[in-house]
Amino acid sequence: MKSTQYSEKTLDHFRHPRNVGTMEGPDVAVGKVGNPVCGDLMYMYIRVKDDRIADIKFQTFGCGSAVATSSMTTELVKGMTLDEAMKVTRGNVADALDGLPLIKMHCSNLAADALHEAIKAWREGRGGEVPEAPAPGAVKESCELPPTTVEGFDALVGKGVYRQEPDPAELKDRRVLVLDRGERSVKLALALTEYTGRVVFMSPYKKPEAKDDFRAPLKRSDVKVLYESQLLAVIGEFEVEKVRVHDLNENEEYELTVDAVVVLE
Amino acid sequence: MPANVYLDYQSSKPVDPRVVEAMLPWFTDRFGNPNSLHQDGDEATEALERSRERVARFIGAEKDEIVFTGGATESNNLALLGYIARNRRKGDHVVIAEVEHISVHNLAKALEKQGIKVTRVPVDQFGRVSPAKLRARIKDETLLVSVGWASSEIGTVQPIRETADMLRGSGIALHVDAVAAEGLVSIDMREVGVDLLTLSSNDIYGPKGLGALYVRKGVHVAPVIIGGGQENGLRSGTENMPAIVGMAEAADIMVRELSEDVARMRPLRDRLVREVLAAIPDSHLNGHPTERLSNNAHFRFEAVEGESLLLSLKDKGVSVSTGSACSSKTLEPSHTLLSCGLLHEEAHGSLEFTFGRWSKPSDVDRVLEVLPGIVARLRALSPLYDMDNKLKGEH
Repeated sequence: MKSTQYSEKTLDHFRHPRNVGTMEGPDVAVGKVGNPVCGDLMYMYIRVKDDRIADIKFQTFGCGSAVATSSMTTELVKGMTLDEAMKVTRGNVADALDGLPLIKMHCSNLAADALHEAIKAWREGRGGEVPEAPAPGAVKESCELPPTTVEGFDALVGKGVYRQEPDPAELKDRRVLVLDRGERSVKLALALTEYTGRVVFMSPYKKPEAKDDFRAPLKRSDVKVLYESQLLAVIGEFEVEKVRVHDLNENEEYELTVDAVVVLE
Repeated sequence: MPANVYLDYQSSKPVDPRVVEAMLPWFTDRFGNPNSLHQDGDEATEALERSRERVARFIGAEKDEIVFTGGATESNNLALLGYIARNRRKGDHVVIAEVEHISVHNLAKALEKQGIKVTRVPVDQFGRVSPAKLRARIKDETLLVSVGWASSEIGTVQPIRETADMLRGSGIALHVDAVAAEGLVSIDMREVGVDLLTLSSNDIYGPKGLGALYVRKGVHVAPVIIGGGQENGLRSGTENMPAIVGMAEAADIMVRELSEDVARMRPLRDRLVREVLAAIPDSHLNGHPTERLSNNAHFRFEAVEGESLLLSLKDKGVSVSTGSACSSKTLEPSHTLLSCGLLHEEAHGSLEFTFGRWSKPSDVDRVLEVLPGIVARLRALSPLYDMDNKLKGEH
């Protein structure tokens, strides 16, 4: 069966999703599951009254079944008690949609999990809290490893690894990774966008909210920013080919293709 | 010809009606086997060799340098497995580009199981393989280099002439999978020093189930399909005459009409690129801005997922492809996009439009009419697209 061979009901929920949006307030709790790296991310918002789900909303980034299962879950559980809602499974959601393609049963059927996360958050007294309200600088110092401990780093100095500010003309049209080393590195990343279309800025910190944080201008720029990320290794036989990155938030590792890595000393 | 808005010519092409007409007699009246010695067999032999000549002419080759196969995948098998089997005593190392078609990637894995060492050359942000980077990876033991003429996905055209020039005189064979490029760029074996070239019939509007491998005179390959010794022993099995005649007819038409085809498609593609990038915020063109196939437009839209885009376009009668993991069998995003340096979540939001012989301006009109609304609707659902309309740092 093709991965997009969806039931009519699934397609209906994809085309006309119910209960899209966000909510806030002391009687609202939020659950988050998924990861954009995998192609799915969802937030489930519940408003609780007398131990029941009085209202529910969702936001989803993902494929057809990710959207449809989110929508169906909200329909299924609206009005249920929290105990009843905790018993709703991925299988129930898939059944209510007249089934899902086998390959989508796991990865794109996370809505029930997001709901359970929201209920747990409520029960732990975290009503009114938005997940990962970022506190700049909240990440422990230990997240930022000195560059000498990055595997493969020293061997590639001069072959795409820079410890000093590089001549930007040398990086024309190259894919450049700039590590967060404070304000100078932010300025460098912004300046490099004049020379190349691909600048990635990587920081171990959480996404800055404060308007006066020196990292904030990155948001408006063409720099691709990876927060809560740590450089593990620089890979390449003759020159920099790839880096290995640890996503601290999801505790996952992945590879990214780049031509140059800048770690200012 | 396509009744809906079909912008997925890279996945499959209709057979040109002129080709179908040329094929028809070979199903019924002229059904002889070229291996038979009677009148009907002679007639088939003559048509087989005439067809070989016509396909050879399409790429500036000699008639005897064309081997008909069961398709481009089989041609790639014959090129890589066949060349290595025959020349193994000369070395044990193969170099391929990271952006090769999946069939070449999986052949490289199969070769590794046979003890062959494989180096995968990285590409730049546009998906191009630099001949200098390639040269740096060549060793004394290198037997074969395999680089596609163009990417079937992002449409980037490789510097094949420079690559061939760089390898000239080295004794290393150059295999080029030309499936994505044939019918879109001029391919002439008299001008470019390629040793093995993969062709597909459907990609020039011929029937499916047929391909060809160009094997330069003096280059030796061992067969991978063993049997009655057809195709000079390189590809056994009774010749698929209707398809062979069809490919030859398609090749003839392409020789005459390639520049006309390109002149028709390029403005359509250019308008789609220009207007999509202008109408949809946070949209990008993947692949090379200029060194790209004239029929290819490959976009990515931040904070939306490709399968959702594809499904929504399907609802509006528009057929396209995506590099998103969610629409693949393995749930892995396109290796080509990752090799270009995109993050997984960026690769997920990609959409590929490919034009063909029957594309018309109204196809572009329809896409421009529906796509901005589709992207906006999916972004309204997406937690990655924040209030001030900018996706940044959500990772």
